[in-house]
Parts: sequence; C-alpha cells; structure tokens
Amino acid sequence: MAKMNVLEALRAAMAWELEHDSDVVILGEDVGTAGGIFRTTQGLQNRFGPDRVIDTPMDESGIIAHAVGLALAGMKPIAEIQFSGFIHNAHEQIMFCAAKYRWMSGGEYTSPLVVRAPSFGGIMGGVWHSHSPESYYIHGGGIKIVAPSTPQDAYGLMLAAIRDPDPVLILEPVPLYRSLSGEVEDDGTATEIGPAETVRPGQDITAVTYGPLRHVLKEVADELAASGGADTEVIDLKTLIPWDVERLVESVNRTGRLVIIHEAPQTLGFGAELAAELQQRCFGYLQAPIDRVCAPDVPYSYRVGDDYYKPGAERIRAALNKIMEFAF
Amino acid sequence: MSEKIGNPREPRPALLDLAGDLNIHQVLDRNGLPNGDMPDPGLSNDEARMFYETMVLLRTIDERGWKLQRSGRIAFWIPLRGQEALQVGATHAMHSDDWIFRAHREMAPWLMRGGSLELMFAQFFGAAQEPQKGRRLPCLIGNRSLNIIQGPTQVGSFIPHACGVAWAAKLRGADIKVLGLFGDGATSRSEFHSAMNFAGIHQPPVVFICVNNSWAVSTPLDCQTAQANFAAKGDAYGVRNLRVDGNDPLAVYAVTKAARESLESEGPILIEAVTYRLGYHTSSDNPDLYRQEAEAALWAAWDPLQRMRGYLEHKGWWDDADEAALHQRCEDDIQAAINAASAMAIPGRSSQFEDVFAESTWMLDEQAERLLSEQSESAS
Repeated sequence: MAKMNVLEALRAAMAWELEHDSDVVILGEDVGTAGGIFRTTQGLQNRFGPDRVIDTPMDESGIIAHAVGLALAGMKPIAEIQFSGFIHNAHEQIMFCAAKYRWMSGGEYTSPLVVRAPSFGGIMGGVWHSHSPESYYIHGGGIKIVAPSTPQDAYGLMLAAIRDPDPVLILEPVPLYRSLSGEVEDDGTATEIGPAETVRPGQDITAVTYGPLRHVLKEVADELAASGGADTEVIDLKTLIPWDVERLVESVNRTGRLVIIHEAPQTLGFGAELAAELQQRCFGYLQAPIDRVCAPDVPYSYRVGDDYYKPGAERIRAALNKIMEFAF
Repeated sequence: MSEKIGNPREPRPALLDLAGDLNIHQVLDRNGLPNGDMPDPGLSNDEARMFYETMVLLRTIDERGWKLQRSGRIAFWIPLRGQEALQVGATHAMHSDDWIFRAHREMAPWLMRGGSLELMFAQFFGAAQEPQKGRRLPCLIGNRSLNIIQGPTQVGSFIPHACGVAWAAKLRGADIKVLGLFGDGATSRSEFHSAMNFAGIHQPPVVFICVNNSWAVSTPLDCQTAQANFAAKGDAYGVRNLRVDGNDPLAVYAVTKAARESLESEGPILIEAVTYRLGYHTSSDNPDLYRQEAEAALWAAWDPLQRMRGYLEHKGWWDDADEAALHQRCEDDIQAAINAASAMAIPGRSSQFEDVFAESTWMLDEQAERLLSEQSESAS
C-alpha cells in the first residue's frame, strides 16, 4: 500500500511488469531519457535499460506497427502515444493490424500490445491535446478499451492490459495525472477488465460516465442529494469494450432513469451505444427518455474548450434535474 | 462511335536488358547460362532441380487457379506468373524456422516448407479446415506451422511487423531471422519508411525484399516514385541495399543467403528483386487499359522458367523426358488437390465470431446468438 498520484500508479504498474516479465518493453516518443513528456515513465530506462524502455522516432504509426511485430513474436510491448490526438495516423495499425491478426490468421498469430493514449480535456490543450478517441477504436472488434480514473484503477487496469492476451487501448486521464492521489494496493494485483464500479449508490437516477468526469459527476450527485434533489447512482464504466451490461441493467431497472455523460462528441459517441442497448433491455422500467450529456460535434477549442466544450458540473446538474421533471 | 477506353502506355524497355547499367546483379544470362557478374552459387543437382520443379509447379498452380476463378469456383485470384524465381531463391536462402512475411504472390514458401497442395487449395476454396478458416481472400495464405505469415491485405502495412519480429528476436537473443517481402508500390506507404527507419536504428536481423514487378495495379514506376531504384531508398535510412535480377533464381538465392549470413555483422538489408508481373494484377484487373502486350513480350524473353531450365540443361541435369514427367506430375497433383479441397466443408456461420478475442465477450455472444436464430444454415 502506498500513496500515489495517477501518473505514479501507472508507472508503478509498468515497473512491476518490467521487473516480473522479461518480455515486457515500453516504446514511444521521449519515453526513455526524458521519461515521457508527462514523466510517466521517468526513471524506468535507468532502471531497466534502453532495450526495455525504448526511445523511438516521431512516428506514431511506426511505433504501433513495430509494437505489433514485437507482439507477434511473443513480446508484450507497451506503446505510448504522446497524446491521443496524435493517435489517428496509427489507426490502421491499431484497428486493421493489431486488432485483426488473431482473427485473420485463424487464431494462429496474435499481437497483444498495450496502446497508452493520454486522453481527455482539462489542461487548456486545444483539440490535439484534449482528445477522447474511443469511438474511432470500437468499430469492428478485436481490441479492448479501458479508461481508469483513480490511482488504484490506473495501477490495476494497466497491469491487466499488459497481461491481457488481446490488444488493449488504455485511455489515460491526463487532467488527473498529478491532481489526484490515493492509496494504491501495489502488490501486482490486476483490476479485472470489464466490471464497472458503482461510485455512489442512489435510487432516482443512474448516471454513467468514464474517465475524469467520474469525479465531477460524483461531486454533483453528492451536492444534489445534500440539497434535497435527486438521489443519483453514479457508475464509472472503467471498461468500454467489453462494458458491464449487467451492472447497468440492474441499476437502470431500479432507478428508471439514465443519464450518460462523456467528453467525446455526441453523435456516435459511446453514449449512443449505451442508450440503444439499455433502452432495449430496460424499456419497461424507464420513467423518462434516456439522456446524454456529451461534447458537441465540434473541435475542442483552446480557450473555451475546458469550460464550454467538455461537460462540466453545470450541464450535468441540469440534466439530472431535467430528467426528474419528465412526466409521460 | 465507340469511345476509346484506357490509355495503354508505350512499352518501356525491360529493365533486365539494362542490367549491367542499372547495377542489377545476375548469375544467369537470359538463356540460363552462368555468364552474369556474380559467381554460380553451386547448387547441387537435387537443389537445382527442386528450384525448377517448384517454379513449374507455381506456374501450374497459377494457371489452374486462374481457371478456377474464371469458371466461378473461387471468388478471386492473384496471378504470380513471371515472379516464380525470386520466391524460390529467397525461400531456399532462409532457414525453416525463419519467419517469412509474404506479399500477395509468394506461394513458394508454403510449398518449399512442406505445406500440402491440398491445404493450399483448401485456402483458395475457403474451407473450414485451412489454417485461416476461410477468412482471407484466395491466395492470401498463411500458416504458423510453416512460419509463414500473411499480413493485412493493404500492401506494405506489414513491413514494420517483419522488422518488429526480427527486433524481438534480437532483444530476446533468439536465433531467428525474418524475410519481409513487399512490392514496388508498397514503398510509397509510410510503413515502408517507418520500417527502414527503425531497421536502420535498431539493426534487427531482417532481409527486406522489394519485389519490383514494374506495375502497381495500373500505376507504372514513374508515377510511383521519382527514384525507381528501389534499393537506393535504403541509403536514406542507413540500410545497406542492392539490386538483383528477380528472374534469376540463382542470383536471388545467392544474395539472400549472403544477406542472411551477414545480418548480425552488417545489419538489415534491402534487396530489390527486379522482375515483371506477366499476368493481371488480380482477377479483377484488365491490363489492356494501361499497358501493351509488347511490353510483356520484352519481359517474356527473361522468363525465369526458361532460364532455369536452360541452366539445368547446360549442366546436363534435365531432358525432355524430365520436362514431360514434371508437367504431368504437377497437373495430377493439382487435380488431386482440387478434388479434395473442393469437397471440404466451408466454415459454419458461427465461425466468424471465433478468434476476435482470446475469449469471447458477452457482446459477441449475444450478436452471434441473435444472428444464428434469425438465419437458417442455408441462408445466402
């Protein structure tokens, strides 16, 4: 047990696996001597050497493509993309190579790499440094997606991602890297990929999110209940593929109301899938239309994005109040 | 009045006619006599005959496969005619536990590593029991037991994968080398440049062979690049390189063998094998739109089969009776393979859900369950 911020928890998990599995390597831009631009891998090259923590050329597609090759041969590469806004020139390598080798070879060849994608807004980073790329990496199968937003989950899901037999995209919560600390059970135990977490139990509304908004949502829900408003159940999805349908269905059937909150743009955001599946499964229990609080279908602005693009407390509160007012 | 369709180019000289000027290394001249700038690598009688027999088998497979496609028995075909020599020479130069990333026209590794014709044709028919379970288009063959890997279909996307597998061997201290094959068109893709760049830096034990067959579908070399010496592209990345006559199996064997043996001391290498695609790009192509017969005729004079046969005859290792027996054997073996493969079961409906993940997810399970309940087995 140790107190860590999110960034230190990610580092501790990678260090654990580097120490316990000689097939694990880290590669990416600036990950070695500099320890990454966020310093997530700081000290790891000194500790494990330049053949384990590898500085690469500035070539996202090449980083992923070579990680695919390493993985095909049985290694376990952790490939860092500096910001998830830079990930898309590796899209083909992630979706049509890493995520397809097992299937297209009839199960004979696999390429289980970890793609680290620092994501989400909140650092006044503008469109390329505040990105939520998840929707682009869901269509067509073959890759899992996780989004830890606590130090413990950062540690446990990173371990799970490295040990998973399939490719895993890990959306790291950039705005929480150093701002959020907590006690972490750092004994090498992974957090299972798949289960969501009920952050706050409630009776009136189910509100589901993932990534840094978990904390904003929890605060809003607490305030709302304290001020005599709705009692909101807050669920942190934590894994997007495959997501925890059972927990969601149980909760929505109980509360009868669902609000989905995410930072990615609304159209074809993950909320669209959640809404479609849950309206089908929970239709008879719903007391109001399912609502979504998402970013608009526009790019993330440097100056106003953090306050007016990604959903904040004000919009979340408004949605929670509004869904309680609905009457058939 | 009918409108003219297409704009076939004036024939350009066969690059092999200019081999000396273009620094394209050869063992054999166009008649198969060992008069090139390189010494005869000295294959045994058995090895040399195996080279020729494999090349003839490859061409016969290509001819029969084409007919299977044209008669509607299989959906697609990727001709290999004219490119038999380089794949035989390169495969023989590698060890059987070396990985081979094939491009789309290399059937030789499968045959030369002991893969069965029956299973190869099973792939063309999309049979359930072929290694890839009928998931890839005909000719996109892969087989882990033979260390042959079929990358994604988009050309060149897998060049860094070959580099990465070799890099892994180096990092782990494993005595495995990698052969990565790709075409001239693939050198325009970013992944080619990524692979050369990483290879130059990290020195993995990989032999890259750029199969320059003059055409990328309808795109000729001068539309593909202003530097049509593909080997020279290695210079930009510190990757040693050379050009070899890709229609000369002995030359390709010799340079690939030397390359393999020097990977540790001299690093990765980019070999440009200069050849020509005598056939269509695929069964969906029509070369009459963009090239003239006369150009293919210039290259037919460098036909790799004629040259290898010429070499065998020069050595006194081959005669007309051998030739007749070989053709009969190829026809018979292929017919038997077609008979067996075409009778094999195709994959069941649920097989498409397998191997997406190591273990299925509830999402896939539910989609499979619904699909199976809504479609009958005979649905088309």
